[in-house]
Amino acid sequence: MALRVAVDVGGTFTDVCVLGENGEAPRVAKVPTTAESPIDGVMRGIAQAGADLADTRFFCHGTTVATNALLNRAFPRAALVTTRGFRDVIEIRRGTKEDLWDAYKDVAPPYIARRDRLVVTERVDATGRVIEPLDMAEAKELVDTLRRRQVRTVAVCFVNSYVNPVHEIAMLEFLRAELPDVAVSISSAVLDEILEHERFSTTVANALLSPLIGHYAGSLEKRLAESGYNGRLHLMHGGGGVMTTQAAQKHAARLASSGLAAGAVASKHIALACGYENSLALDVGGTSADISIVCGGELKVVRNWSVDFGHPICFPNLEVLTIGAGGGSIAWVDDGGALRVGPQSAGAAPGPACYGLGGTAATTTDAQLVLGQIDTSLAAGSQLLDVALAKRAVSKIARELNCSLEDAAVGILRVASANLADALKILSIRRGQDPRDFALVAFGGAGPMHAVHLARELSLSAVVVPPHPGVTSAFGCLLVDIRHDFSAMFIRNAQAADPYEIESTFLRLESHARKSLLEDGVEPERISMQRFIEMRYHGQSRSMPIAVDQPVRAIGGLVEKFHVQHREEFGFNHEHGDVDLYQLSVSALGIIEKPRFGALSSGTGKPIEPVGRRMVRFIEPKGWLETPVYSRSDLCPDAKVTGPAVIAQPDSTTLIPPDWTATVDQMGNLRISMDVERQAR
Amino acid sequence: MTTQRVPLRMIEDEQADALDPVTAEVLRNAFMTAVDLMAEQLLRTCHSFVIHARDFSGGLCDANGDTVAQGSSDVAVQVGTLHFSAKAVLDAFRGDICEGDVFILNDPYSGGTHFNDVRVLRPIFSDGALIAVAQSNGHWADVGGAATGSFDPSATEHFGEGLRITPVRIWSRGRYLADVGRLIASNTRSPEDAEGDLRAQAEATRVCEREVHRLIERYGQGTVIAAFGESQAYVERVVRRRVSALPDGSWEAEDYIDNDPSGGEGLVPIKVRMRISGNGVHYDLSGSHPAIGSFLNSAFGGSYSAVIAGTKTFFPDVPLNSGFYRALTVDFGPRGTVVNASWPRAVTGFYAGPYEKIVNAIFQIWSQIMPERAIATSFNLEYVLLGGRDARPHGQEQFMYYDWMAGGWGGRNGKDGSNATASIFGVGHALQSTEMQELTSPIMTRVCELKTDSGGPGEFRGGLGMVKEVMLTDCEGAVLSYCSDRAKSVIVGSLGGSSSCPHGLWINPASTDERYLGALASRVPVVPGDSLERPSAGGGGYGDPLRRAPRSVREDVVDGYVSIDRARKDYGVVVVRDAGDPDLYMVDDVATAAERRRLRATRAGLLETDPEHVAQRYKDGELTAYDLVRQYGVIVDWGSGELLPETTRKYRAILHERCRSHWAGE
Repeated sequence: MALRVAVDVGGTFTDVCVLGENGEAPRVAKVPTTAESPIDGVMRGIAQAGADLADTRFFCHGTTVATNALLNRAFPRAALVTTRGFRDVIEIRRGTKEDLWDAYKDVAPPYIARRDRLVVTERVDATGRVIEPLDMAEAKELVDTLRRRQVRTVAVCFVNSYVNPVHEIAMLEFLRAELPDVAVSISSAVLDEILEHERFSTTVANALLSPLIGHYAGSLEKRLAESGYNGRLHLMHGGGGVMTTQAAQKHAARLASSGLAAGAVASKHIALACGYENSLALDVGGTSADISIVCGGELKVVRNWSVDFGHPICFPNLEVLTIGAGGGSIAWVDDGGALRVGPQSAGAAPGPACYGLGGTAATTTDAQLVLGQIDTSLAAGSQLLDVALAKRAVSKIARELNCSLEDAAVGILRVASANLADALKILSIRRGQDPRDFALVAFGGAGPMHAVHLARELSLSAVVVPPHPGVTSAFGCLLVDIRHDFSAMFIRNAQAADPYEIESTFLRLESHARKSLLEDGVEPERISMQRFIEMRYHGQSRSMPIAVDQPVRAIGGLVEKFHVQHREEFGFNHEHGDVDLYQLSVSALGIIEKPRFGALSSGTGKPIEPVGRRMVRFIEPKGWLETPVYSRSDLCPDAKVTGPAVIAQPDSTTLIPPDWTATVDQMGNLRISMDVERQAR
Repeated sequence: MTTQRVPLRMIEDEQADALDPVTAEVLRNAFMTAVDLMAEQLLRTCHSFVIHARDFSGGLCDANGDTVAQGSSDVAVQVGTLHFSAKAVLDAFRGDICEGDVFILNDPYSGGTHFNDVRVLRPIFSDGALIAVAQSNGHWADVGGAATGSFDPSATEHFGEGLRITPVRIWSRGRYLADVGRLIASNTRSPEDAEGDLRAQAEATRVCEREVHRLIERYGQGTVIAAFGESQAYVERVVRRRVSALPDGSWEAEDYIDNDPSGGEGLVPIKVRMRISGNGVHYDLSGSHPAIGSFLNSAFGGSYSAVIAGTKTFFPDVPLNSGFYRALTVDFGPRGTVVNASWPRAVTGFYAGPYEKIVNAIFQIWSQIMPERAIATSFNLEYVLLGGRDARPHGQEQFMYYDWMAGGWGGRNGKDGSNATASIFGVGHALQSTEMQELTSPIMTRVCELKTDSGGPGEFRGGLGMVKEVMLTDCEGAVLSYCSDRAKSVIVGSLGGSSSCPHGLWINPASTDERYLGALASRVPVVPGDSLERPSAGGGGYGDPLRRAPRSVREDVVDGYVSIDRARKDYGVVVVRDAGDPDLYMVDDVATAAERRRLRATRAGLLETDPEHVAQRYKDGELTAYDLVRQYGVIVDWGSGELLPETTRKYRAILHERCRSHWAGE
């Protein structure tokens, strides 16, 4: 037997998902994250899930190691080497601030302080011509400085190196020869794109992370091998694919958003399996909610992700919007008498008031407990909740609003849901889409609590809750391919562009990509390439990727496709407008054979008995309802639960209000929709 | 009418009563989202790279034209003006507005900002009634006039500045009025981009309209309209509650434009008086100078946005809408002043003139009332416009190189100022990429870095400005304009803090054809090989620089934020570099104590040195501009070195009040 094992390390928990060959239900485990040495938690989780690594043929890992290093700024000593006259590109940035009005809230300082940003005389112009040669005497002095300061890793970032990397390469070779133990990232190899700030910033992050990632991946590989695993270690990256350890050392900064992508990938798979081409994913945890979108079966890729505002990592990254709305979000009444929820969170400690760990502020979880929506015992009894403490916290809000305890609790949940609804709207509108055409996939511990109410607010057609909402991200890690992204600038007027030159550029990118995949050990027949041309109307500042599905022989059809897509996304186009090309890119996939999911066996057909009943106050309708509580493990395929109902399981709780019905599908998902009679009304 | 007052109105509580507070909060956020969605769409479709750099704003106004929600990422310089535009359209077309109509205007004399800020407005109907107006306002790259980019610093009247669009219908019942669109676009240097932006803005307002319709579907028309009122009442309540917790009183502050080109030399005062009484804030700009002979005047809209932006800095978490504006009154004083200019006075440079000075005067005032948010004078937008024919092998086109820098913000209470941050014009206003500029213009950037020593010295140092040096390569017929200020009205510090550095553009510095253009220059011919250099100001220092911890000065020296030379002159801190280890810098404690004693004993006297004598030493190369503005309090023409006696007299008076009177122990 050959297992597939995924381990997704989050801030609080390490989640494990194990799949066998024969489509049986996954085995899952959840253990506390061991922040000091995350690998211990990984190994413990694997053991708890009962996975034998000697029997494992695919191992995938989502990690917060890179994210935490950037958050805590715990790096080896690093330096930036750049063109004379451009020492401060990563400090000046684009000059913007995240908080537009608070003059006391500053942008985080650059990752490399000015003292460690060293300049060298060299210059290439916008056409790639060398204006000033690289000054080797200065380069030599610079090496002395790096050696004296015991710098461990260097980012080399020269202006216009995206057109001609000759000086960056020369500097790389010189540094390698002089300082063989120092890691070097050069910007033209890390992100071969125009825009110096974005390229430099990405390269700096890459230089900071590559020694760390190399060390971490090496240690984990060793531990896995010691436990019998003899396959490759696959690391989840922000682009929604995995990389091997070798590739991760080259493009370490791609791992900075490792933790976010897996949930989005899982939601896409789940929605498509349920027949939804368009879906929104809502992953609500303790402190924040991650939201993503699938349109026409595709996740959107963006290029402006960052841990700290102003210091972007511009690798292609699945679009995930994170907002401060989770179970621990704190409710408060502001100066104007308005009820607000978050973005401050009670976190894991002290946590919601009902945890009894000293928290006194009312949180979303407290409001849910007051309304009977969650049980007083969570996670199979490992977390007991104190209703009296929750009531005390929420009643403070009630006093400030001069309303009843019940109204205050309902108000907290309405405001929390509205925050989520606004974020879902922003994400769908960014794609020019009407949220009503989308299904909602809800997971994370708290996602299924909010899902149906949000569906009602946004007029969404259906809600899907996967079988193990709390470990959905780990599940996503098992649905990925090896993925590399390569691009080349191609700034031309479309009319003047030579199709032959486009085709040959694509071929060059593809051959580069193929080489990387072969190095990853991918079989040639498992390689798949996707081509895109970024296009824009002449004068526009942002471009739009147009998929290219065959060899380029003429440009007319692609321009036509751009006009159509512009109209679809933005509601208008300029039919006679001049179109410019901007960039050619290739996403290269090494297809990993996906697990088969067998249909689960249906139940006996007998009505399912609730495991209990309690009074629950839903957000809508008004009033308390005697509500049956079902255990998720009792619900086999074809089971049907009509609201009002609560479906409880160790890692989550799903609320089914009146007028909504949940059925269990063959994959074990809850499919929740509004009753037909109700819709007709 | 001599005064334009924004009237104080009572909270309309009968509307609020109909709404429960949670629905009101849900809808208030939904309105903000509706406006932010417009911004999302506009950013992705606009043509003007100025809009793309986030020089835009958006608003949802109610049926009276009052603002319900303003975009959360809007540029500061346009805030507080969207309701004026909405009211101008509603007044001009009263009884003649149909579903599917869209209107356009850019008129600064009816509450707009400047001609480039073109506002596109879409009335929103529900059940046949006009219930709201969606508005998208964006800075077009060009709206005609004598100069490229429609920025002509020498303009004195609007006719030279650009096309004035009073409220005009541009879509009628859903049909685009192509003839009108063409008339507008044809009056710009780039008709395709103008129509592109027009379409992008009109389509963005449709996104807002769709959202409002969805909310009506979900909550009902009555509730949504009630929430329009309650959203404003809520903001007004917040502001009034906070203001009523502050002591009543009166404050005043001044800041200055460099000079009036139609008069002699001498700083042009802009006076802001403010009174808190009960729960209201009352501004009075009536003591300001008459309108001046350049484009650095402001009509009342631009001055109003400055009052709002300045005040909002001290209420950073309060959302902007007409409720905010109702808690303030503004008396713009008599018409015809630099802050209340009327047609046909040139006003395009309002952002570098009155806007900036009002905001910084308001910083001074509120820094006294809320010391925990105090901030010294901060950098404002400076702007180069350079156009001509691109003579590089592949292109025969005209190029347009518009460039602006970031600069330093003022030192704060307990915190240094921010380095190289977008200006008080709007901190979302993004810099452009050098590589993209080099691709699209025959201009090569040689230096684009932080400017060492540019942060105003203080116990808490002002943030650093930048220095940029560019060279023209293959071009023909290139013409340059520079739109800035603060070559003479240099940014000064607060509570004993010191000054930054003067603005000004140099052509071919340190060569035989060196030319100094100062802060304002109009249509100056330049040729290939010319090199242009300019600094952006740093922020003013906060508190006495002799009180700054020597360790902090040493760290600044290690990072090259402060030079060893100026560490001694400005801070009295003697930093020495270790002979054996070039990375090691140390403070010489004994020498520092002696130097600080010496400076305490002499610095007040230096400010009384004969200015002619100081100017001569500057001409002779013995003193630098830093020495003049910081140690001697002397302002000269930085190119010729000629003393500006009237400016110097006033500058010394300012330093006396803002620096010297706070120096302890002399």
